[in-house]
Amino acid sequence: MSTEAPGPAAPSDALLSVRDLSVVYEPAGADPTFAVENVSFDLRRGEFVGLVGESGSGKSTLGFALTRLSKPPARISHGRILFDGRDIASIDSEALREQRQGGFAMVLQSGMNALNPVRSIRNHFFDVFKAHGHVPHDRREQRARDLIGKVELPAATLDRFPGELSGGMRQRVSIALALSLEPQLMVFDEPTTALDVLVQHAVMNTIRDLQKSEGFTAVLISHDLGIVLEATERVLVMHEGVIVEDGPSSQILSNPSADYTRMLLSHYADPRAEIVSLPGFEDRSIRRDQGVSRSALASPEHAPTVVTRSISTAQESIVVKGVSKTYPPPRRGEQPVRAVRDVSFTLEPGQSLALVGQSGSGKSTIAKMITGVEKPSEGSISFGGLDVAKLRRGQLRDLHSNVQMVFQDPYAALNPLHTIEYTLMRPVVNFTGLKGDDARHRVRELLDTVGLTPVEQFAAKLPHELSGGQRQRVVIARALASDPQVIIADEPVSMLDVSLRAGVLALLEDLREKWGVSLLYITHDLLSARLITDNIMVLHDGAVVERGETAEVLQRPTDAYTVALLDAVPNPARAHGAT
Amino acid sequence: MKYALRKVGLLILTLWAAITLNFFLPRLMPGSPTDAAIAKLSQNGPVTAATRKAIEIQLGVPDGNVLEQYLQYLKQVVTLQFGISYTFYPQPVAELVSQALPYTLILVGLVTIVAFVCGTLLGVLAAWKRGTWLDALPTLGGSFASAFPYFWTALLLLFFLGYVFKIFPTSGAYGVTNTPGLNAAFLGSAAVHAVLPAVTILITSLGGWILGMRNTMISTLGDDYVTFAEANGLKPRTVALRYAARNAILPNLTSFGLALGGVVGGSVLVETVFGYPGIGYLLLKAVTNQDYPLMQALFLMITVSVLLANFLVDILYGVLDPRTRK
Repeated sequence: MSTEAPGPAAPSDALLSVRDLSVVYEPAGADPTFAVENVSFDLRRGEFVGLVGESGSGKSTLGFALTRLSKPPARISHGRILFDGRDIASIDSEALREQRQGGFAMVLQSGMNALNPVRSIRNHFFDVFKAHGHVPHDRREQRARDLIGKVELPAATLDRFPGELSGGMRQRVSIALALSLEPQLMVFDEPTTALDVLVQHAVMNTIRDLQKSEGFTAVLISHDLGIVLEATERVLVMHEGVIVEDGPSSQILSNPSADYTRMLLSHYADPRAEIVSLPGFEDRSIRRDQGVSRSALASPEHAPTVVTRSISTAQESIVVKGVSKTYPPPRRGEQPVRAVRDVSFTLEPGQSLALVGQSGSGKSTIAKMITGVEKPSEGSISFGGLDVAKLRRGQLRDLHSNVQMVFQDPYAALNPLHTIEYTLMRPVVNFTGLKGDDARHRVRELLDTVGLTPVEQFAAKLPHELSGGQRQRVVIARALASDPQVIIADEPVSMLDVSLRAGVLALLEDLREKWGVSLLYITHDLLSARLITDNIMVLHDGAVVERGETAEVLQRPTDAYTVALLDAVPNPARAHGAT
Repeated sequence: MKYALRKVGLLILTLWAAITLNFFLPRLMPGSPTDAAIAKLSQNGPVTAATRKAIEIQLGVPDGNVLEQYLQYLKQVVTLQFGISYTFYPQPVAELVSQALPYTLILVGLVTIVAFVCGTLLGVLAAWKRGTWLDALPTLGGSFASAFPYFWTALLLLFFLGYVFKIFPTSGAYGVTNTPGLNAAFLGSAAVHAVLPAVTILITSLGGWILGMRNTMISTLGDDYVTFAEANGLKPRTVALRYAARNAILPNLTSFGLALGGVVGGSVLVETVFGYPGIGYLLLKAVTNQDYPLMQALFLMITVSVLLANFLVDILYGVLDPRTRK
């Protein structure tokens, strides 16, 4: 749409009409970039609209602009935001402040940090009432109790301080605070992203129920098309600052018009289905029946990155026998924390095993014990017949060269001051004893293995010049430097955009299929577990509640907790009655 | 309440430990004041046992074993009997200290508090109006002023305001014609005498508080709870003070505690430059004259004041930050 065009007239029941809105980032000493460019759309009263896009698409920038919360270096450079007929893009700050009551409210992504740590929850409500004077003095306490009840929290929560509440409770409190403004429009910016799977599900249900009962217009901003399609009636898809698709959710699900939307959708599947295939991943049963590897059935853009090795890399198995881990009580007079309870399993050479559960289920503690970082309180873990807890320093070094970790956060796992070459040189020199040009040559090989080509260019880069997916490949390359037999991947794709996930998962799968590396895959994401693992163990409160072949367990779960985890996976198809 | 009680217990325990160390440390050192005196005397000729006995009695060498001495010492500390000063013989140490203490506490203590309060407020303002002249002026001015060494600023002020323009007196705590006490003439004179040292402390310490507060406040202004408070349309004053500043002040309280604790011990330079008869001045005299009783009392004072200041800040922290109360 050109900037000069007046834009279509707003429908008569429009609450919000955005016309040719552009938001520019003007960082000091750098070129300005447009995060949102000439965006136009209308929101009708009572509508529940989703705003979807990957990181960097401009969705949050747009959300902040709609609620006039853009802060420097971001600036609304152009366009109008008509809220209830009034252009809020250009009103002064005091008028804007008054408009926030009975106008538009926002719930932030990091609801955990959206509350003032030194103020009680009650005072948070009273601050809002005082600022706008819309609740008379003698009604304030009652009003705060009503609001906290609406988000399904007990009235006693009002006496608490934010630090005493869980993440989910804090996010509920911020929703209640936003509600206390009696807004006509609520913008939810990734309201559940920082929360645990099951909590996510529950908070989303609360948001949906509130939208129905309170009747506000809602915008749900998310990177997760699944969550958005399940919750909303209409979806705007954003890509590189532009809305590429705008339509009813059911239509986007069944008949998307933009290539970008189709690409996003192609990365969703129901982990419970009989056949689960994603781009580059034919279902495991099909591969097994045909006796071929992942890459054999994949299209050229999902081609293999590693060359088959004649001898399988992994020769030894990890045997975990009756392992428990108990931490001393966090405070005096409390119970000790039993992080892991009597877990046993064997990871055979070249096998892939998924450890699944929400945070606090003990899955990361198991990884720490396997690598010798923590010692089991009971039971034993052995690798190649040696008890990990009893290894001496030199043996521990051998263990670490054979068992390597890939961490969740590729942004935190790389030192921002070192080039990729330096980062990879360290483990190469430490573990293989190669020096100088030999070591440099090995670094190039590693980069080639993880698909970061041309290798010369990537070797010279600093972490901030890479995307999240590229960084995670560097982290995997670093893990491969010692040519390990086992890779323990702790949520390796949970922080990546969907379009980047497939590539990292394919790499892990190829390393296992072609090199014979054993894989312990720790995740809460059942779909990715289904794609790259043979066997699965579901952990709850430190204990194994269900185990078996991955496809079998996910299709026919027997434990209530596994069922709850599966129910928490967004299922847009079910929500919109399609198949 | 439980938090406060625990802190009181901790204070008593550390106080006891400090007092005990103060007793044992000098006893671990080789030699004694008597030996030192005899060593000097023996240069002029042989020293008899009677002379030695006389010196011991004069210096008050304690009787009994170490435990008895320790109990005796504890009793003396509690009843504030620190003996007689060598330098100001025959004035008791307790009397000297009690005369000097008010000057130091009122001058340095009060100015430290004023500097903290003013600096913090200016820092809040600078961060809130970031990028405007309200930010540039205190930030640049503060760091400029505090970049000078303390004594240099002091000498500059003394020279111009004291000698050249003769607006303020150049030394002492009150005029020679005044009698200390609650009379108008003395209080007026004391106030005028305090201006130069006070201004010097203010100038050199203000910048640190401004910068410290401004920087922590800028970081809290970027915190999500501030954005959320703005999204909820709270008044700018509430957002700035109750949300951003209220959280930003917490880390600065620790530095404030250290500064308060340093008031008694750190006043040496001020009081020397301005000839101000406070604790610092007394300490300098005690050290240069090897006045052991006075020194011991002053060191104990310094320890106690650091502990007390930290205790006060701990309690304040407990009141201001609910997260520490657990």
